[in-house]
Amino acid sequence: MNQISKWIIYTIVALFLLAVPFIMSEFFTTMMVRVLYFSLMAVAFAFLASQIGLVSLAIPAFLGLSGYTIAILETREIMFFPYSAMAAIVVVLFVSAVFGIFANRSKGIYFIMLTLILGQIIWAVARQWASVTNGVNGLIGISTPDAMQFNVFGANVGFYYVILFTFVLIVWAVLALTRSSFGMKLKGIRESESRMIMLGYRVSRLKWVAFVISSLVAGIAGVFFVYFVGVMHPSAIDLDSSAMVLIAGIFGGVYSIIGAVLGMSIVQTLEVVLNAYTQRYLIIIGIMFLLVVIYAPKGLMGLIYKNKYMKSLYDKWYKGRKDS
Amino acid sequence: MNKKFHYFLFTVPMVFVLAIATACAEDANDDDNNDGEAAEEEMSIGLVGPMTGGFADYGEKAHRGVELALDEVDNTIAGYEVNLVVEDSQADAEQLTTSLDSLHQRDEVDVIIGPSTGDEGEAAASWAQDHEDVLIMPGYSAAEDMTMRAASDNLIRAGWTGTQTIYHFGKFVHDELGHDRIAMVGQNYAYPWDQAAGFKRGFYENGGEEVHTIWHETDILDFSSIMNELQSISDDYDAVLLNSGGADTIAFWGAWEQYGMGEYYPQLLGGTNVADIPILEEVTDNFEGVYSSMHYSEDLDHEENMQFRENYADMHDEEADGIALQGYDTMRVIIDALETTGGDTSDVNALTDEIMAMEVDDSPRGSFYFDEYGQAVQDIYIKEVQMVDGELENQVIDTYEEVSQFGPYEGLEEEYMEQPNNSADFPADTAEEYFEELEEYFGQEYIDELEENDGWE
Amino acid sequence: MWMTVIDGITMAALLFIIAVGLNLSFALLRVANLAHGALYLFGAYVGYSVMSYTESWLLAIVVGGLATALLALLLEFFLLRKVRGDNLRETLVTLSVAIILADVMIVIWGGSPMSIPYPDLLQGPLIMGDVIVPKLSLFILGFAIVIGTLLWMLLNKTKIGMIIRAGVDDYEMVAALGTNIRLVFTSMFVLAGFLAGIVGVVGGSHLIVSPEEDWRILTYALLIIILGGMGSFGGSVVAALIMGMIYSFGSLYVPEFQLFLMFTPVALVLIFKPKGLFGRGLE
Repeated sequence: MNQISKWIIYTIVALFLLAVPFIMSEFFTTMMVRVLYFSLMAVAFAFLASQIGLVSLAIPAFLGLSGYTIAILETREIMFFPYSAMAAIVVVLFVSAVFGIFANRSKGIYFIMLTLILGQIIWAVARQWASVTNGVNGLIGISTPDAMQFNVFGANVGFYYVILFTFVLIVWAVLALTRSSFGMKLKGIRESESRMIMLGYRVSRLKWVAFVISSLVAGIAGVFFVYFVGVMHPSAIDLDSSAMVLIAGIFGGVYSIIGAVLGMSIVQTLEVVLNAYTQRYLIIIGIMFLLVVIYAPKGLMGLIYKNKYMKSLYDKWYKGRKDS
Repeated sequence: MNKKFHYFLFTVPMVFVLAIATACAEDANDDDNNDGEAAEEEMSIGLVGPMTGGFADYGEKAHRGVELALDEVDNTIAGYEVNLVVEDSQADAEQLTTSLDSLHQRDEVDVIIGPSTGDEGEAAASWAQDHEDVLIMPGYSAAEDMTMRAASDNLIRAGWTGTQTIYHFGKFVHDELGHDRIAMVGQNYAYPWDQAAGFKRGFYENGGEEVHTIWHETDILDFSSIMNELQSISDDYDAVLLNSGGADTIAFWGAWEQYGMGEYYPQLLGGTNVADIPILEEVTDNFEGVYSSMHYSEDLDHEENMQFRENYADMHDEEADGIALQGYDTMRVIIDALETTGGDTSDVNALTDEIMAMEVDDSPRGSFYFDEYGQAVQDIYIKEVQMVDGELENQVIDTYEEVSQFGPYEGLEEEYMEQPNNSADFPADTAEEYFEELEEYFGQEYIDELEENDGWE
Repeated sequence: MWMTVIDGITMAALLFIIAVGLNLSFALLRVANLAHGALYLFGAYVGYSVMSYTESWLLAIVVGGLATALLALLLEFFLLRKVRGDNLRETLVTLSVAIILADVMIVIWGGSPMSIPYPDLLQGPLIMGDVIVPKLSLFILGFAIVIGTLLWMLLNKTKIGMIIRAGVDDYEMVAALGTNIRLVFTSMFVLAGFLAGIVGVVGGSHLIVSPEEDWRILTYALLIIILGGMGSFGGSVVAALIMGMIYSFGSLYVPEFQLFLMFTPVALVLIFKPKGLFGRGLE
C-alpha cells in the first residue's frame, strides 16, 4: 500500500467523522458518542493487554472512580466543571498509583483475579456506602457543562466534537507511546520479564507507569460518561461491565488497540441493534463471542493482518517495526 | 480444521451483523418516507424496562399487560396499526438512557411506556425534563419524586408512588390491628424509604408510637443476623413490617420460617410488593394472615377485573398481578387518548391534555383520575393473605377511596414538598421526634387538629 | 455474640459447598470455570422443576446434580477440549457459556424469583437455651462435612486420586505411562458439575433461585478459593470460616462496608501470597 492511497483513506475517514452530525441521523451521532467513550475503556484495556500482556478487569472501576467523583462533587455542589473533572483525574491517578504498586506483584491469571477483586472493591464501596454514593439509587442529575455544549452550524453537537477530538488525541498518543522506547521496553517485558531485569531495566516501575496510563485513559472515559449520561449508578462498574470490556477486547484482538476499538464498536452496535428485535440478544452476543474465542482467538485484527499488505501495516502500527 | 473454515466461521456472524444493520437502516428509511407521505397507516409506541437479569419480571410483566391491551383493540388505534418497540434497560440507569435515546431518535417514538424500577424511574424523570416532546408513562416505577419534586408535564403516571399506597395502612395498623410499636425490616434504597415514610406518617399521626427500622442491603445472601436481632427485641415490638419486594421477600420469608419467628411475632405486615402473586406462589402456607396495602388486588370482584384476569391468563398462561395491570392500564389510557386525538402521536401537548382530563372508571383496579402533577388518584385497598381452596390469595378487607399521592395532605402539597426527600433517617423512628419535624413544616395548628380529631378524619 | 459466631459457622458451611465444585475444576484442570455460578443456578432450576412434579427433595437433588453433570460433560467435551492448555481462552469459553446459559434460563424458567421447598423434617429451628439454629443450616453444615470428607478421601486414599494428583503435577508423564488422563480429567470436570448441581438444589432451598444469582454465587466461590488457595480443600475450609465470620459480624456492625471487608482480605492475599493461604498454586 503506498503513501498516497493511505492518505486518501485517512482523509476520507477524517472527513466522515467530522461530518457525522450533519450527514447521519441524530441517533447515529448519539451512538457514536457512546461508542467513543466505551472505546476509551477498550483502549485502556488493550494498552495493557497488548503492551505487557496483562488482562485487567479493573478498567470499568476507574471509569467509575472518575464518574463518581464528579457526580458526588457536583450533586453536593462542592465543585463544578472544570475543577470537578480535574479532581476526578487526580483521584484516578492516586488510586491507580496505589493499585498499580500492588497489581505489579502479580501476573497471568493472578493479575486477572487481582484486578477483578480490586474492581469489585470499588463496586462494593459504590454500592454499599450509601451515605456518600447514594448506594443502589445512583446519583442523578449531573448536567453537561456549557463548555461541551456549543453549537456547530446551529446544531447542538459540541459534545460529539469534544469527545471525538479527545478520543483521536488519546489514541494517537497511546499509539505513539507504543512505538516509543518506552513501548519497546514494555514489549520486552511482555516477551521475557526476566531478560529485561537482567538487562538492567526497572521492570516494576515500567509496569507501574503502564498501569497508571491505562487507568488514566479509563478515567477520562469516565468524565465523558458521567457528563453524557447524567447518571452514575453502581451497575456501570459491575462484573457485567468488566466482562463487556473483555469481550470487546477479545472481539477485536487482544494485541491490537485499533482492534479493541473496533470490537467495542461491534459489541455496542450489536446491543443496540439486536435489542430492537429481541429481548434475548445476550444469547446471540454470547454465541458470537464463543465462536470468536474458539475459532478466531486473535480476533478481528487477527484475521485482517493475515492479508499481506495489512500485515505490514499492522506490524508498523502495533509492533513498532519499520516496513517488513 | 483448515484455515478456510476458520474464515467461514468468523464470516457467518459478521455477515449476520451486517444484514441486521442494513435491515435497520431500511426500516429507518421506511419510517422517514411514512412521515413524509403519511400513506402507510402505522404508529410506533415505545416500551422500556428490564427484560434481562434479576429485575426481568418488572419489565416482562408490564410488557405482557401492554400486549393484552393492544390485543383487545386488535392492535389498531384510530385506524393506525400499532408497532410496539420494546427496549431492554437491564435495570441499569446508563442503559436506560441509551434505550430512551434509541426509542426517541432511532424509532422516532413520541410515546414511551416505562421504566419499571425506582432508580430507573428517577433517571427517566430527569431524561423527561430534557425531552419535552416525548410523553413518558412509567411502567411500575414508584419513586415519589417523579411526579412531585421532579415532576414534568410530559411525564404522567397511571401507577402508584411508594408513599401513596401505604399512608392509610399505617392508620389501619394502629386503629384496626391495635399495634403501637413496629419493627420494620427494609432494603436500604429509595423505594423502601418512600414506603417507610408513608407508613410512619399514617401510623404516628393516628397514635402509633415507634417504628424501629432495620435497613439492609438489597440482595443480601443471608438473613440470619437480622432474624437474631428481631428475636432479641421481640419483647419490645408488636409486629414486624417487611418493607421490600421480589427476591429479598422470598429470602426473608425462608429465614423467618427457618428461625421459627412466628413464635415471637404472631403478626407479619408487608409493604406494597410483599404479597405479590409470584411471591404467594413461592412462600409456605404460614404466610396466611399477612396484611399489606396496594392500589390493586386480584380478588376485586367487579366485572372488569374478572375479565382482565381471565384474558390475561388465556393470553400469557400466568396469573395477572399489579405489574401486569399497570402495563395494561397505562396502554389503555394511551389508546383512549389517541382515539380522541385521532391517532396523532406527535402532538404531545394535546395528548397530555387529553390524558390529564381523563377519568378512568373501567380499570380492573377500580376508577382513577390524574392530579395536577400527573399522578393517578385512586382507591387504596388493605389486603389480607387468606387460604382459599388450598391456595394463598389476597382478600380486600378495607378500602380507602380516592387517595392522592399526597395522601392526607391535600391542600398542603407545597408544604409537603418543602420537606427533605425521604431517606433512611427521615421521617424519624419515634412519634415524638416525628412531631417535632412535622411542626417545622406543617405548623402547630396541623398537629392540634390531629389531636382534636384523634387522628385523621 | 454466640449467635453471631454460630451464624458465621453455618454461613461458612454454605460458602464451602458453593466453592467446592469450582475448587475441584481449578485444582485439577486449572480452569477458572466462570460458568460455575450458571451451573449452580441450572441445577437449582432443574431441582425446582423436579420438586414441583414429584415433591421429592432427594430426587430433586439427584436429578439436579445429574442434569448439571451432563451439561458440564457437554461443555468439557465440545468446547473446553478445543482450547485445552490455553488458560485465558479456557476462561473466556466458560465466560461465554455463563452469559448464554444465564439468558437461556430466563427463557425456560422466567424471571420470577423462586424458592425450592424442602422436607418438613428440616423446617423450623432447633432451640437450645438462648441459641436458635435453623435445622436446614445444620443440615448444610453436615452436608459440607460429608462432601469435604468424601472428596478428601477420593483424592488422597484411592488409586484414581493418585492418578489425578500425578496428572496435575506431570500431565505428559502420566499420559505416557498409558493412563487415559484425558478421560480422568473429563470425569473430574463432570464431577465438579455434579457438585455444582446438587449444591444448587440445596442452596436454592436455603437461599433463593433467581436470575443474577449465578454471578453472586460465582463471586463468593471465587473469594473462597482465592483466599484459601486454588486447589486446596483445607484452605477452602479456613477461607470459608474467615469469610463466614466477616459476613456475619460485618452485616451486624458495619453494614455499609460489609462487602468491602470481604473483598479486601482477598486482595491482600493476592498481593502478598498469590497462591492463597494454603495453595500450591499454578504457574
